[in-house]
Amino acid sequence: MGLINETNQQYYAASQTIHVINAGINELQYTFDASMKLYSTSSWSPSDLDYGKNNFIFEYSFTGLDPYTPVNVAYTVTNNLIVLSFATDFSLGYFRVRLKETNYGDYAGVSLKSIVNNFIVAYIGEGKIIPSAKRTDVIFHAKRGMQEFSYDTLKSIKQQELSIPNTLSVILPQDYVNYVKLSWVDDLGVKHIIYPTRLTSNPTDMPIQQGDNGVPIQDEYGSNLQGTPIIEERWGNADDRRISGSYYPDFQNAGINEYAGNRFGVGQRYGANPETSTMNGWFTVNEREGKISFSSNLVGRVIIFEYISDGLAYEKDMHLPKLAEEAMYAHIAYSILSVRANVPEYIVQRFKRDRSAKLRNTKIRLSNIKLEEITQVMRNKSKWIKH
Amino acid sequence: MAISVDTVYRTVLLILNKESRGYLTPDEYNKIGTQVQLEMFNEYFEDLNQQLRIPENDSEYSNRVKNLEEKLAVFKTPPAIANYNPGGYFNLPTPSAPSGQETITSAIGQNAYAFQVLQAAQVSAGTLEVFFDGVLQTENINYTISPGGGFINVLPSPTTVFVINVVLYENDFYKIGTVIYDDELEVERVNRNDFLYINMSPLTKPSTEYPVYIFEKNNLYIYPTTIKSDITASYLRKPISPVWSFTISGGYVYDPANSVDFELQSTEQTALVIRVLAYAGVVIRDPQIIQAAMNKIQEEKVNEKS
Repeated sequence: MGLINETNQQYYAASQTIHVINAGINELQYTFDASMKLYSTSSWSPSDLDYGKNNFIFEYSFTGLDPYTPVNVAYTVTNNLIVLSFATDFSLGYFRVRLKETNYGDYAGVSLKSIVNNFIVAYIGEGKIIPSAKRTDVIFHAKRGMQEFSYDTLKSIKQQELSIPNTLSVILPQDYVNYVKLSWVDDLGVKHIIYPTRLTSNPTDMPIQQGDNGVPIQDEYGSNLQGTPIIEERWGNADDRRISGSYYPDFQNAGINEYAGNRFGVGQRYGANPETSTMNGWFTVNEREGKISFSSNLVGRVIIFEYISDGLAYEKDMHLPKLAEEAMYAHIAYSILSVRANVPEYIVQRFKRDRSAKLRNTKIRLSNIKLEEITQVMRNKSKWIKH
Repeated sequence: MAISVDTVYRTVLLILNKESRGYLTPDEYNKIGTQVQLEMFNEYFEDLNQQLRIPENDSEYSNRVKNLEEKLAVFKTPPAIANYNPGGYFNLPTPSAPSGQETITSAIGQNAYAFQVLQAAQVSAGTLEVFFDGVLQTENINYTISPGGGFINVLPSPTTVFVINVVLYENDFYKIGTVIYDDELEVERVNRNDFLYINMSPLTKPSTEYPVYIFEKNNLYIYPTTIKSDITASYLRKPISPVWSFTISGGYVYDPANSVDFELQSTEQTALVIRVLAYAGVVIRDPQIIQAAMNKIQEEKVNEKS
């Protein structure tokens, strides 16, 4: 039996139609992979305030042709079974459910819930290396694995498009763990990398007010008095051209025919320090405020903020690419065995190597190396590559 | 396939009477039968535990784990609904059919009502559902049962006349099996001390996807506490006590209609006879019978476990 249960209509159109040909039927079983949910018990009604919060639309047409009209009779939904309150109120016809969210591309992934269930079925039991294990332990190691894989194995980069305000800083995303790359985007939509700078930094604590002899001053509660940040203020007011050495107008586009772009694009200032001569600006991570701060030349610019999360922040994040499924099983098995008493060390080492090998395989798979794409890039370098 | 209570009795009597050693009355036999059946039933769990720890074979009829599972299968009860109690826990599933009920009419100002139909011992050992005018009530909030099970106390004193309907379910619960949420999710059993740590860790905190339960005072405390319905539980029930019923007509005459057979698997018949014999030997004070039966039991045990 194949793994795909949905029909083409359910997948591509995110809808399913049931043709009722017998009178008196009030139960309609839909077979989406996704779970249909009413927001509240009264949100079946199109006039209900929460009607728009249902994750599906239930509608009816006598002929099966458009237009369909929303069903306006009370019903409940359990396990994708719609039970209408009054069968006799309905004439025969077509009942269609349209999901509001599609699941395009979801087949490439497997949910963490399935990982946990599959692991318990296949790896735990009498006569197996792990005779018994608490489900809580499996969940813990699966989630820890998800976090570790997110940091250095999975393609778990998230991106936010932001505009830099006058304050020159943007708040770190709610699920931020570490940044990957920041770029500003020009009028052509081309990205220009913004690098972190060593030229300045954001103090982790607020400045301390000092007396004339340099000794910190305390308030009536015995705590040091705080001052206003001076370093950040100076960096915010700094004219970056005095650092980069640039006195030419910024080039806003990456077009190769742009005059300014040409001059800077080919790099004419031999011996310049790339770290300071960049026109793309700089950023620092302000740990104290939980923000990313930018240099003043980036004010008003549109940026793309690429960062990694840990794969556990939101329900939709808790999916693992199928290419990494085996590595996750190996990770959970090793994690359980390595902390268990009386497991021979050679077994632990075997699973450690197994995990390592499968993780390496996964990294290769997910690096997504395609020969055609490499040759396309390398052609630009006048190198001949047969393929 | 149950073991006939009559066949066992006759076999035991046959062996006992071989040399006019003595006689086992039906009442003695019934008590010994109950004792032996429970004894053998209890041993299954230890035997199963022992067998699970040694390599098993894959044969069709001689796989010891499989055989023990088959012996227990009779007593395994499929998942049944566990009702939510406003006290914040789920009651264990009760048998679908009540074993008795009694209807009482309240009197204004009267708290205590004695049971006339239900036996006090049954009430104290069983599970009750109490309805006031058809509405299910909560124990210790709307009513209490006296320690011996002879009375029901209505809380507070009735100010109107209403009908008290007491439904009794005989408590046949023996061991909890699997607790299931929403027909598909297993609820994991944890201990109270483990739960505190599980609940504190954001990675393991119980959720509706991974619920847990604590089993205390024969109640199921399900976490997260937002779960208030859709809990079912399978369990192992106690064997029903065997009864060799009779009518008196110039002696004891077997009454099959009112008798209850042993519930053990039919493969246990010889073991059952031997064990009943051992107790019968004690009753009739015959050391030879006891010795012979004990030797046989020991022989079988060695054979089964080696």
